[in-house]
Amino acid sequence: MRLNVKLFGTLGKGFQGYRQEDGLNVEIPDGAQVSDLIGHLELSVTKGCVVVVEGRVVKPTGFLENGMAVHILQAGAGG
Amino acid sequence: MKFLRVKMGNREVSVEEVPQAYRGLGGRGLTSTIINAEVSPTCDPLGPENKLILAPGLLSGTNLVNTSRISIGAKSPLTGTIKESNAGGTVAAALGHLGITAVIFEGQAPVGELFIFRIDENGDGSLMPASVYKGMRTYALAEKMLETYGKKTSVLCIGPAGEQGSTAASIQSTDVDGRPCRAAGRGGLGAVMGAKGLKAIVVDQTGKGTDAIADPQAFKEAAKAFAKAVKEHPFTGRMLPALGTAGMVAPVNSMGAFPTLNATKGVMEGWEKISGEALSEIFKERGGNPSHMGCSQCIVHCSNEFVDKEGKYVTSSLEYETIWSMGGMTGIDDFDTIAQLDRLCDDIGVDTMDTGVAVAVAMDSGYKNFGDGQAAIEMVKEIGMGTPFGKILGNGAAAVGKHFNHKRVPVVKGQAIAAYDPRAMQGNAVTYATSPMGADHTAGNVVGEYMAGTLDPLKPEGQMEASRKSQIAMASVDCTGLCLLASFALTTPEGGGAFLKAMNAKLGLQMGPEDIPAMGIRVLKEELDFNRKAGFTSADDRLPRFFYEEALPPHNKVVLISDEQMDQALAF
Repeated sequence: MRLNVKLFGTLGKGFQGYRQEDGLNVEIPDGAQVSDLIGHLELSVTKGCVVVVEGRVVKPTGFLENGMAVHILQAGAGG
Repeated sequence: MKFLRVKMGNREVSVEEVPQAYRGLGGRGLTSTIINAEVSPTCDPLGPENKLILAPGLLSGTNLVNTSRISIGAKSPLTGTIKESNAGGTVAAALGHLGITAVIFEGQAPVGELFIFRIDENGDGSLMPASVYKGMRTYALAEKMLETYGKKTSVLCIGPAGEQGSTAASIQSTDVDGRPCRAAGRGGLGAVMGAKGLKAIVVDQTGKGTDAIADPQAFKEAAKAFAKAVKEHPFTGRMLPALGTAGMVAPVNSMGAFPTLNATKGVMEGWEKISGEALSEIFKERGGNPSHMGCSQCIVHCSNEFVDKEGKYVTSSLEYETIWSMGGMTGIDDFDTIAQLDRLCDDIGVDTMDTGVAVAVAMDSGYKNFGDGQAAIEMVKEIGMGTPFGKILGNGAAAVGKHFNHKRVPVVKGQAIAAYDPRAMQGNAVTYATSPMGADHTAGNVVGEYMAGTLDPLKPEGQMEASRKSQIAMASVDCTGLCLLASFALTTPEGGGAFLKAMNAKLGLQMGPEDIPAMGIRVLKEELDFNRKAGFTSADDRLPRFFYEEALPPHNKVVLISDEQMDQALAF
């Protein structure tokens, strides 16, 4: 499947030439879960990464579908 | 340990030993307990019966990192409830270094008189005439105070809004660079200070009278471990130093919970233009400082210094809540305009949150168009000028809603909500409705649970419990002087354990983990008791009707929390 992945916080810094407006076009096997995507990008849920699809937080065991727009964020709260 | 009690009517300053009943209390715990004991709940908040209380946290003045929050309390003229609003800067540490546990201002100066209260390097306080500073804005005033009393001085002050009695008036606090850019913004405490005839409080930073630490060696080890936990946490150690709290614009919009155009949408069109990531690009292009140390003892550096296109300082710090209130709520997607609005609010001395929401309510009422940045600037300037409309705006969103007879006014107990829509984050609906302070995200934000994926933000189940837990935790944290943002490190075993050890070493106690929430419950009970005596009932613990009736896109949800659930949240 193909996904468009946008990275927020400091996550984009780990990808050379990353442009916020374009995001990353990622191809991973059909039936992949969020944890597979995180692993593919060599990120880590335990380091505060949160995956949001269509306005909903998706757990590491959640399944992804072809064509999804995925936001990967860093957990926190404002002040 | 001592209290300074200042009687504004006869300019008498006395020093008191801290009563036994108040030992072990600090920050919000102390301000709320004193208010409940000493202030008539039915008094006029801007009359002589009200008291204004400053209390550094239990750990302020020690070398434990990020413990420089000053709690300021009174009966609020905005909400009519008890109020604690805490601010960063340097004053909490300065008071801690002087061994001052609280400063209590009571009575009122004679009509037309204005004073500065100065605390010198020995911890002695005195009132000095300040009529010459009448009407002065906070940046100019802070500069004068530092010129007069030296650069090693902390300043709390009010601007024209506080002097006018505007019920959204803030008390501004100087940062490590001496600029009055941190705020005890919520609840109109600047108006209480103005009503007392107090323009500024200046505190010498060179005190050497810090209260003794019961076990210095254990404290030193715990402080080191806690600092390590703060540095290693992904949020406090990496994201906040890089993007500041502005980094929350992306997550909250992504989750459809960013109240936009006066809370009619949950995602702002073009939010990327006012995101933390976009702000970071501006710093790269123009300079300024994206990782600024704003407060004493801070190792997070979530603050920033925003400069204009010519590289000239505009404001510090551009924070998530202000970006939301002045940007998302008003439809202004331009950082330069938002920064100007932030600076104006700090300088005039009004809460950026209530003021931004008030501007949005005015725009929603048809007074001006959404997205009109220049109109927003002119409106806020009117607060400083004291025009008839400026006086309405300076009284916050509720007053503006009443003026325009507008139905969509996002306030609870008269105080504007924060940057998390309660329809898309149902736990925050409980916090806004039931907090003793009125709508206040810092009283018990549940967003962390949603981002962790442990709670569905759109369903009613589990929200009351999550809000209750968070409100108790925040009431505890607010006693210690610890910054809310650094408190994320408490969620790790290393951070939580080290902080508890530091508390025990400081106070000579043997508290266990269960004693921390007990402290929070004690504080909340004091606050709820005051509010009950002031006439508040469970009927006041509700959100405005539109949150229950108007579905918020994109999730198209209304608030689903029942009245019964609301009533259980803080039923101790």
